[in-house]
Amino acid sequence: MNQHCHPMCMCLEGGRLGFKLVDHKDPLQVEDEQQWPRWLYGYSFTRAPGPKSKAPELQTVERRNWLIHLHYVRKEFDHCKQLIREQLEETRGMCEYANYVQGLILRQEGKIQESFELFQLCNILNPSSIENIKQMARALFLLGRHKLAVEAYLQAEDKLNKPDWELHHNLGVCYMHLKEYEDAREHLMFALEVNKHHQTFAMLARLYLLDNDIPSAINTYRAAIEYFPENGDLHTALGLLYMQTGKHQQAFEHLGTTLTFDANNTRAILAAGSMMQSHQDFDVALAKYRVAAQSIPESPPLWNNIAMCFFGKKKYVAAISCLKRANYLAPFDWKILYNLGLVHLTMQQYTSAFHFLSAAVNLRPTKGHIFMLLAIALTYLDDEENARQAYEQAISLEVRDPSVCLNYAIFLYNHDDKEGAVRMINEFEVRMVKFRQSTGADLDTEVIENGAKLASLLGVDGSAFCKKTSRTRLDAQDETAPQEKVSTTQDTLQPMGESLHHSPPPAPETPDELDPPEEATGRDTAVLVPRTHNPELHKPPTFVSEGDDSHGEHLASAHLQFQEEEPHVSNQGDAGEENSVNHKQNSDESFE
Amino acid sequence: MEKNLFNTKMGENDRWLTAHHDPLATLYTFSSCMALADLHGDGESKLIIADLGTGAYNMKLKVYRGTSLMSENTLIDLPTGVITFHMDTTEPRVPAVAVASGSYIYIYKNLRPYFKFTLPTLEVNPTEFDAWSQARDELLDVSMLYEILDSLRQEVGECGLTTRSQRFLMCPDHGSQATFLDQHKGFLLKRQTVVTCFSTMKKSHAEDDAISCLVLGTESANIFILDPEAFTILNSMSLPSVPVFLSVSGLYDVEYRIIVACRNGQIYTLKRGTKIGRPTAELTSQPVGLLRRDKSIIVATMDQNLHSFNNKGKRLWSLKLPTPVTCMETLEIRTLGLTLTALGMADHRVMIYRDKHLVDTIHTEDKISAMKFGRFGREDNTLVLVMKGGGLLVKILKRTARFEIEETQGPSQALAVKLNIPKKTKLFVDQTMRERENSVLMHRVFQHDLYRLRLNTARAYVQALETSSNPVSLSQTEPLKLSAQVLGLGPTFKLRVELQNTSSVSPSLQLAVIFHCDDRVYNVDKSYIQIPMLVPGIIHVAETLITCISELGISDTVRVFVVKGKASRPLLTAVINMPVAEVFMGS
Repeated sequence: MNQHCHPMCMCLEGGRLGFKLVDHKDPLQVEDEQQWPRWLYGYSFTRAPGPKSKAPELQTVERRNWLIHLHYVRKEFDHCKQLIREQLEETRGMCEYANYVQGLILRQEGKIQESFELFQLCNILNPSSIENIKQMARALFLLGRHKLAVEAYLQAEDKLNKPDWELHHNLGVCYMHLKEYEDAREHLMFALEVNKHHQTFAMLARLYLLDNDIPSAINTYRAAIEYFPENGDLHTALGLLYMQTGKHQQAFEHLGTTLTFDANNTRAILAAGSMMQSHQDFDVALAKYRVAAQSIPESPPLWNNIAMCFFGKKKYVAAISCLKRANYLAPFDWKILYNLGLVHLTMQQYTSAFHFLSAAVNLRPTKGHIFMLLAIALTYLDDEENARQAYEQAISLEVRDPSVCLNYAIFLYNHDDKEGAVRMINEFEVRMVKFRQSTGADLDTEVIENGAKLASLLGVDGSAFCKKTSRTRLDAQDETAPQEKVSTTQDTLQPMGESLHHSPPPAPETPDELDPPEEATGRDTAVLVPRTHNPELHKPPTFVSEGDDSHGEHLASAHLQFQEEEPHVSNQGDAGEENSVNHKQNSDESFE
Repeated sequence: MEKNLFNTKMGENDRWLTAHHDPLATLYTFSSCMALADLHGDGESKLIIADLGTGAYNMKLKVYRGTSLMSENTLIDLPTGVITFHMDTTEPRVPAVAVASGSYIYIYKNLRPYFKFTLPTLEVNPTEFDAWSQARDELLDVSMLYEILDSLRQEVGECGLTTRSQRFLMCPDHGSQATFLDQHKGFLLKRQTVVTCFSTMKKSHAEDDAISCLVLGTESANIFILDPEAFTILNSMSLPSVPVFLSVSGLYDVEYRIIVACRNGQIYTLKRGTKIGRPTAELTSQPVGLLRRDKSIIVATMDQNLHSFNNKGKRLWSLKLPTPVTCMETLEIRTLGLTLTALGMADHRVMIYRDKHLVDTIHTEDKISAMKFGRFGREDNTLVLVMKGGGLLVKILKRTARFEIEETQGPSQALAVKLNIPKKTKLFVDQTMRERENSVLMHRVFQHDLYRLRLNTARAYVQALETSSNPVSLSQTEPLKLSAQVLGLGPTFKLRVELQNTSSVSPSLQLAVIFHCDDRVYNVDKSYIQIPMLVPGIIHVAETLITCISELGISDTVRVFVVKGKASRPLLTAVINMPVAEVFMGS
């Protein structure tokens, strides 16, 4: 007991330290002093009606806030909701923090409107709190009412006495959704000045991309990486942007960095893998995909890329298996269908190839390369007229790739249309020159050789085809060895085969940021150099090319009319010697 | 026996021994409510747990000695934290236990109640104070007081008022308000706050048994440092938000640093001589735990990340965690000179990190709710785990255990896994060969059949349109939709027909529904139902009873026609395949 008087005296001293000890000094402590024995024997004094002088104990409204908060951050929402319910019952819904956390939980559960109402209630209970207004704004943002969200954020900003990163970041995002890019950029920049968060960097970069300002986006990511050197997502995004701009070296570096810090980053794996594929490192790429397959076994692009690796390694059955899985996972992805068509063409399954290609063309009727493959399939299916139509369509849709012209020229030559063939070979030459000028690279040697041979057969000056052969790219030279091997096997397998060529289309379509590898696969382009036997078919079926969705169907139905026609094998001899069969070479090229 | 069972079930971790496992301990506690200390000076460390009971009552301060419960003291309110500390220099050197609960801190010595400290009250709003004193002197009546307080709440917010005002405003009617006023007006108005987090700081010496100050964080966003001998406030500091986690280092009399994680998701640093917390790091998610290493802060956040910052707030590294974190604890293993971080995960395991490298995982049966590492009994490196379901698990670190950073095994592990490529059968190869040989013929036959199929489909479609045997009317004048439902098990079924006018403006008139069936099988109650005017969009329901009268146990189809006026052709037709009546299946 003696010890007890001691604290009382010290209390007064405490006042010196700047703390306001209004009524702390005597009444309370004296009360305690009086209560001491009671407390000692089981602390009944708080519940039991004490002596008359004692005020009835009132439970502080906020007394359970810490418990609610702790359960909330531990994501024990069930428990938390129970606590909140009890708390709100006890306080008749007046506990601000309980309502606030309830709102946060509802938001996590996706009940945005309800959570918005709770934050409104919090705002009524405590109009001075900026946090409540910010949460209201956030709810409005999540409800897609960006204008109202901006207003709420601006209101919060007015009340705020110091800059707040979160507020400006969210304002920037809201403005971005409102398509007011200037304001958005301003706020995001400001948010970055307040505090550097990778979310803001990523958002700012996205904003630049919306404006098609790729250099600024790249700079933003580079700045972000200075602050977050180990953030895999930032490195991946930057790598993809570099890939898009054709800076493959830098792209590979950043994707590699991602993989060092986060070996399981599937986006980076897919992007890096597709780059390896384009350099024919199929085994390395497959090793990477194996890692990715652990975490995203249901990704269509992944299986598509795996399939094209097998294709590159000439494991066609595995390639078909994987492509069929990819197709099962994404039945409306034209790239997968296109690849399926390509692999089936290689396997000489022309009927199946036709199927997949006509499906692809229905989904993407503007892609010239699909029409070209379709034309090749149709040539083998003895449907000359439809093949011709498909070639015409391919040439009008694909205006840059020289190989389309070459294939058509060979087709025309084989069908005794020398005049048309000459016209096409000239067009081929024009396109080839343009291609050389625009990319600085040369076409695949096989394409050029075949072009030269056809030109000499037609009596056209084929010198243009030869003059740059010395300058073929490195990887093209690498290909020569396997090509020859293939051609021999191909000969035995299919004496009347045509050869497919792939050459890189000069301008790959803009990569989809989310799905980089698809872009890589989408670039396969087949160039067919028909070589021998070309059946002549007499009934010209109608091929309607103007309808967007109807190509495949019309092509399909068109065949009904002439099924009795006997395929007529002609001029097998002469052309056969000239064009070496390179059926499988397309695989090597498919990812260029 | 129990231990064996557990071992066989969970598999023993090679670094940890299970010393005790009591799945029925029914503990509800947090890491902050657990402490390990030698309370009796007998060299044996006890486990002190402040149990939150049911969360409303039955709160207890429990002390475990070894595997048995040694003592239990009732607590009157929810405990926020438990701490053991030396408050004086008396011999033998036994620490006192401090339990923070509500607005009070209860000090126990030798497990007996010793002292109760009340948090200093906050300043009362002058308007509020005047209002209550006028009410006491009967200058204000109940409704006026209510109005004043209500408008004050609009101004300063709910949390700016005293508990008494808050409770007064909660009273639903005039009568209860008056009673409340009578009950309370005679007493002094005070505004109290609540302890939210709790820690200790050595006062002037760094020895293990030196006198420590108490450091409190309160709901009013303050940090108080209490003198352990006199229980006066040595220092009071303020923060922009409510503190949630505290980490204290240093000596009060020399130099100290308090790192606080707050509810606004920011981390603040307080040093000797500062009055206001300095913002150190901004998190993008709520912190779930805060630990301090020599020169760095480790924070787990709600978005499943583990961040490390240096003392200045620069991010050192971040790690993405597989599941949400529930609690964190430092494992200081002095024998190895190691300081590890243990994370209790939501997926029933404890992950132990050495810096950012995962070095060990302990699997448990339940979600971890609280963890404490330290000396328990006579064993130095003991990890006490409390499960969500209330179980208590004590693990002892083996003396041979080492925590070496292993090479990341992720990719190499994945390399060993083969790609799951669907296999193809010989049939597939045969089919391929067949297609190669007969591709042209196959193509044509297929195209031929496809054409036929299309033709047949088109014919059937036209026929359906001609006979109006379709459930959705395509005519421009009467756009209707029909759907039918059979309810019941039989022999009496209820047939429910829903009719909807799908046009935007024009109503349908003179409609009727006719049921047609084989009268040897079914008996229809109302075979003709007149439909009132159908307003666009509204679903009209026509119902009839159909009894199966056939004794053969067969089922048949019922046709539903929608007709208009005296027209001979129906607008719509639906054919309903009736189920077999239940009665026949039984007999």
